[in-house]
Amino acid sequence: MPLSGTFLADLERIVGADGLVCSPEGRLVYECDMHTFYKGAPDAVALPTRADQVVAIVNLCRREHVPIVPRGSGTGLIGGAMAPVGGVMVGTNRMDGILEIDLPNRCATVQPGLINLSLTRAVSSHGYFFAPDPSSQMVSSIGGNVATNAGGPHCLKYGITTNHVLGLELVTGAGVLVRLGGKAAEHPGYDLVGVAVGSEGTFGIVTAVTVRLLHAAEAVKTILASFTAIEDASEAVSAIIAAGIVPAALEMLDEMMIRAINEGTGAGYPKDAAAVLLIELDGPGAEVEAQAERAARICWERGALEVRVARDDTERALLWKGRKEAAGAVGRLAPTYLLQDAVVPRSKLPAIMRELIAIGARYRVQIANVFHAGDGNLHPLILYDDREPDELERAKAANEELLRACIAMGGTVTGEHGVGMDKAKNLPFQYADADLNFMYRLRRAFDPDAIMNPGKLLPSHPACGEGFRPSRPRVPDGAWI
Amino acid sequence: MSVATRSIAETFVTIVGREGVRADDEARAAAAVDGQPPRWVVCPVSIDQLSRVVALAHDEGLAVVPRGGGHALELGNPPTRVDVVADLSSLVRVVEYNPDDLTITVEAGISAGALAALLAPHRQFLPLDPPGLISRTLGGVTATNASGPLRARYGTMRDLLLGVRFVQADGVVTWGGSKVVKSVSGYDVPKLMVGALGTLGVLGELTLRLHPRPDVEGSWLVLLPSTQAAQGLVERIADSPLQPNRIEFFNDRALESLPVETAVAGVAVSIGSVVEAVREQGERLVTMAKAAGARTVPLPDEFWSVADRALTAERHESALQVAVVAGRLADTERAITEAVRTAAPGAQVRISGCAAVGTFRVLVGGASVAEAAAMVTRVRAWATELGGSVVVASGPAELRKAVDPWGPIDPGPFALMRALRDEFDPKRVLNPGRYVGGL
Repeated sequence: MPLSGTFLADLERIVGADGLVCSPEGRLVYECDMHTFYKGAPDAVALPTRADQVVAIVNLCRREHVPIVPRGSGTGLIGGAMAPVGGVMVGTNRMDGILEIDLPNRCATVQPGLINLSLTRAVSSHGYFFAPDPSSQMVSSIGGNVATNAGGPHCLKYGITTNHVLGLELVTGAGVLVRLGGKAAEHPGYDLVGVAVGSEGTFGIVTAVTVRLLHAAEAVKTILASFTAIEDASEAVSAIIAAGIVPAALEMLDEMMIRAINEGTGAGYPKDAAAVLLIELDGPGAEVEAQAERAARICWERGALEVRVARDDTERALLWKGRKEAAGAVGRLAPTYLLQDAVVPRSKLPAIMRELIAIGARYRVQIANVFHAGDGNLHPLILYDDREPDELERAKAANEELLRACIAMGGTVTGEHGVGMDKAKNLPFQYADADLNFMYRLRRAFDPDAIMNPGKLLPSHPACGEGFRPSRPRVPDGAWI
Repeated sequence: MSVATRSIAETFVTIVGREGVRADDEARAAAAVDGQPPRWVVCPVSIDQLSRVVALAHDEGLAVVPRGGGHALELGNPPTRVDVVADLSSLVRVVEYNPDDLTITVEAGISAGALAALLAPHRQFLPLDPPGLISRTLGGVTATNASGPLRARYGTMRDLLLGVRFVQADGVVTWGGSKVVKSVSGYDVPKLMVGALGTLGVLGELTLRLHPRPDVEGSWLVLLPSTQAAQGLVERIADSPLQPNRIEFFNDRALESLPVETAVAGVAVSIGSVVEAVREQGERLVTMAKAAGARTVPLPDEFWSVADRALTAERHESALQVAVVAGRLADTERAITEAVRTAAPGAQVRISGCAAVGTFRVLVGGASVAEAAAMVTRVRAWATELGGSVVVASGPAELRKAVDPWGPIDPGPFALMRALRDEFDPKRVLNPGRYVGGL
């Protein structure tokens, strides 16, 4: 539905000519996030610089029943920051300031467009850091991290975005600017911050975020252990956790991924390894020393081929290099892939790896793996060549079967990427009608007119707006009349 | 007893059995909430039964007050109606414990003490230690978001609740969250249930994230000449690489009720890790304290349980939960002391709290209702200016009528809270009137 001239003029009055993108080529840039599968260009892109402009945009769209799609850096992996039904995209890129760094209270308030890593850079000289570290942290925005409740390799120890957000300034779908939470540790009433983090822009648009800052650890130690069987590596993971060690990160690469990385970046992982474990420990020096020794011993006991301990930051960076370039390296194996983000209970890792190999064989697709083993968060990359007939269909079928297998083992559809368009259809694997109905109603409290990021996070269904009608328990009848 | 009343009672019996329904005066009096006895005390033994009990109450227009261990019944406003007390203390099943995954799923009526005993052989624990923990139910701790000294390192239930099964006001059993340590599929419904006092649903089952017990734990008490000095020490600890499990502040009166030396202020620190690291960090703590002109004494392991018991609110005491920003310990203590001096000169206050986080528990004794109310108002004015809050966690109903036990909530967030309450419990079946703003 193209927007009327009057509407666009109103929009331009709010954000100024330099804050409005209407040309087809300009809008094309915004047609997808990093999940390029899902495409949909907005009818206009507004780039506000202030919260009051966001309020005005939402109210204008509300009046005209125009959908709104918020967008940060567009580095999401889920088909989230794209406009399946057109409408106005609100980009937060020009709201990228640090509003306050409050070290005595160990927190900072920033605008949503601020790049994740910029915050850590701003406070690192004082010994502090912002903990959530999605792999995209050099480019992704904190507003986007909040929207998707982003995780990262180090969330095993430090938790995901929600554990670090103290307060939000949010323009709701009703066009009202509200301040939720804040610097203080507690706020009476419902935890609106907690439920707004991860709401993927369906509640409104965040215009400021107050986050916790952590003190950097005294010591860091990175260990690389390689194994001839992925089961051995999985057992080492369980044994490390059972020994009471909570590593900052605990990452695993499988055989195919090791091969791709070795060919690509020359990270120098052992050639005959079927699995590589990256273990990072941080904390007080004495603790890190003792735990590193213990973790290394566990790896040897589980039949490790090799255990390398980085001696300095350069060696540490080298050990991480392969892991960080994993997604790029698979480009050598196949032109494209489906990326998965399901989670299984950690103890089910060996079982799901077996299942995954079987599924790959059944659908004749290659599946490479690089994942957060410490919390059971898989990132299988299901490789396919879209020039081959039916290869995409087989990849999709393998993907769905793998998701169902994860759920059957007690897992979840997405561990850290979010739902977006991509996984909305998969939520019913995990939730019953009553559970989804609760979520539809929750959304309505923040966005009564259903204009915020439609089509994302929740599956669409026939009785739109009303949600499912869950069955109520049967009250024994005949007892009262 | 009217026919309708009798048949409602009979229906409860049909749902939970005769032994699960009490309507005698003794049981009703024992279950009274702020002096209001319920008409029935109903004790479901499964979530299915709980769901049917709530559905019946919903259809009959009855008010339900969920009850766990009965520790927090004085939290919030006195309820506007109490027809049914749903006693959840029989929901004690362990649904699933996976030590390798550091997760457990339990029914909400299980006590924290029972859970701890179950986890101990695996050297695991749920790192939550609100006052009176042992006999509190996990559902109660969740509904009230109660916390204690361990939040310095591990956070609160907000950071530990992964999944939740609850019964909505109309009886629909609903699940939110997941059973794994990491999930972003759908809205984070567990967050919404933490601290909601059961007003959006009665908690039936919880999936919790566990932590490994450290190899060893050491505890020390630093005795300080002033609260300002205590704040200085806390700041130095927070700014250092030390990784304490607890950094708990005690004022002079609180110290006096503990089996330790007294001082103007004390900061008790516990460190859990491998043995070498505990020793080494302990030494660093002592050095830091010495530099601040303070003395450090080692504490026995049982200090924390002794302190928990000693700082339980006495019958004549009201408990306040003060939350401010992390770096204002000394000012907070001063604001409280001054409020007492002005508003309740004869009162004694025992203050303890998570010094590095900015949450304090204030026990007020020897104050009349009017004096306590005036004191709350003063402390609240100060805390609100810092973006903080003062909640009356326990005390006589008169106090909670004289002063809003929750304090003011900004109109913006409050409108959203009311919208949620109206959406999920328009008939106000669950805990009517008790929550913020009389929701």
